[in-house]
Amino acid sequence: MFRYIPLMLKNCWRNRRRTILTIVSIGVSMCLLGVIISVFHAFYLSDPTPDQALRLVTRNRISLTQPLPQSYRERIKQVPGIREVMIAQWFGGVYKDSRNPDNMFARFAVEPEKLFGIYGELTIPDDQKRAFERERTACVIGRDLANKLNFHIGDRITLVGDIFPGKYEFTVRGIFDSPRASSVLYFNREYLEQSLPEGRRGNAGTFDILVDRAENAPHIAQVVDDEFLNSPARTKTESEQAFVLGFVSFLGNVKMFLLSVSAAVMFTILLVSANTMAMSVRERVREVGVLKTLGFTPGAILGLILGEACAISLAGALVGYTISMMLTNGIRKSPFGGFLPPIAAFEPGVALVCVAAAGFIGLISSLVPAWGASRTPIVEALRSTD
Amino acid sequence: MTDNIVISTRGLNKEFIRDEFHVVALQDVGLDIHKGEFIALMGPSGSGKSTLLHLIAAMDTATGGEIRVLGQDLRALSDRQIAHWRNENIGFIFQSFNLIPVLTALENVELPLKLTNLKKQERIDHATTALQLVGLGDRLGHYPRQLSGGQEQRVAIARAIVTDPSLILADEPTGNLDASSAEEILTLVSRLNKEHGKTVVMVTHDPHAARFASKIRYLEKGALLSEGAVPAN
Ligand SMILES: Nc1ncnc2c1ncn2[C@@H]1O[C@H](COP(=O)(O)OP(=O)(O)OP(=O)(O)O)[C@@H](O)[C@H]1O
Ligand SMILES: [Mg+2]
Repeated sequence: MFRYIPLMLKNCWRNRRRTILTIVSIGVSMCLLGVIISVFHAFYLSDPTPDQALRLVTRNRISLTQPLPQSYRERIKQVPGIREVMIAQWFGGVYKDSRNPDNMFARFAVEPEKLFGIYGELTIPDDQKRAFERERTACVIGRDLANKLNFHIGDRITLVGDIFPGKYEFTVRGIFDSPRASSVLYFNREYLEQSLPEGRRGNAGTFDILVDRAENAPHIAQVVDDEFLNSPARTKTESEQAFVLGFVSFLGNVKMFLLSVSAAVMFTILLVSANTMAMSVRERVREVGVLKTLGFTPGAILGLILGEACAISLAGALVGYTISMMLTNGIRKSPFGGFLPPIAAFEPGVALVCVAAAGFIGLISSLVPAWGASRTPIVEALRSTD
Repeated sequence: MTDNIVISTRGLNKEFIRDEFHVVALQDVGLDIHKGEFIALMGPSGSGKSTLLHLIAAMDTATGGEIRVLGQDLRALSDRQIAHWRNENIGFIFQSFNLIPVLTALENVELPLKLTNLKKQERIDHATTALQLVGLGDRLGHYPRQLSGGQEQRVAIARAIVTDPSLILADEPTGNLDASSAEEILTLVSRLNKEHGKTVVMVTHDPHAARFASKIRYLEKGALLSEGAVPAN
């Protein structure tokens, strides 16, 4: 079998321009497919990190935009197995020119003394942490954000509120490191509360919960929700992973969207590749007749052509997946990366799916012309003029 | 002499039916060719010369009659078996050379050996020897487009003989060549016949070419004229 590979590769290289164009177009599509599959994998198939597995998020059952009374915090805290509860409030707001995507980063009002306990994966020097807890207008920012906008300890950041109107001025008192993308700003919820009119105080967007053991988390979530079964505002408590996905699904039916885009992309590559293979086989009917005259069996001819198509689409997949690794890396570091589940740049499962997809495309796209060529009677093939 | 017959046909018929067209290409052809003969097959265009050659090489199947080649009843073999049989026993030379353009002379000649059990080095040695035999030992790495027509045909001959088949079939091998190249090719083919004992069947239009053969047979409108007979015009 291996002795046919040189001939197969030489056949691929017969019409260089066409082969390169095909590889490029398959590459572009496979790159898109790679990104989509990576995102899909990160959203729906990846396991939570050990830190994530310990966290639950409680929100208003009706919608994420509806607040809950802050008094729930104490009742949640009573539930056995819960170590800590923190109010977290999505702030929104605008920093400088919001058309610059760099200026779009997540901002949360939190309880400073609890933040680093619940988010154990965040690391910050002790003195910075204490400074954040002490000062009402202090904020801490992630390393990614600090690097991107060149913020230093002591810098002032002014946000203009939209959900919570007004002008808010913070002083950077700490920069934390995170294993994930960290384009995030946390500030003291007290500052927000005192700036709000009387009627809007006392609310919580979400309660971030730390449980003692990951395996208890689903049960605890149920207990929390049962606690507020008969309250005016009912709650929905879910794993952090599920919560983030719910956040993503604000954008629409993401799962369906990803799947249908993948299908469309696959179909497009299939057409491109099928067209190329049909063309390249048609030009070579006579040669197929010659090979058969030399003793090549129909099966060998079939294998040669299928192999050629697979080689081309695998080359495309290689190019595409390499670029997609760069892109997913880019997404992870982008302003949105902070909201999204972490998207791995290289994930063996995703790479495997891409390679399999390419192989599948190679086979399917060339099946018809290859079959036709292998079955064409020799005499007829030899009569064809190229 | 009869046990030396390598090609034997009886009542061989070939019809082409395409839509409403119905062409009788060969009609009741009875032909015996002995081992070591060099037969020239002549006749006007459309008389069925190529068709007969294709049937002998098992590249096509007859619509009626019997054909035995090298003792083998060709109709008894499967597609796969026929391919192997042809690889082992038949060397076919085309009018238009039909080399694979993306392969070098050496790779073209090596191609039929890829279907055998030979190791890479053995294949290369055999192919090199075949190319040396046709006088192209110094052109191994050349691509077909870098060769003259005569040289291309010599590569094609090397490809046809590399598996050491006992039967060489040539369909107007000099049809695309100038006189001096044609002369070289014909000399080469007759050497294969005389020095290497190959049985040769060569279709040709050219009476000069036919003179290299030991015997000339004529086809007319699909029928084989009896031995020694020459067409009227
Ligand atoms: N595949 C085919 N389909 C239909 N008719 C065919 C086919 N092959 C050959 N024929 C017909 O059979 C007849 C004999 O053809 P063949 O090619 O054997 O002639 P030939 O003697 O080799 O002619 P030439 O000297 O022009 O090569 C012709 O009438 C031709 O049109
Ligand atoms: Mg002919």
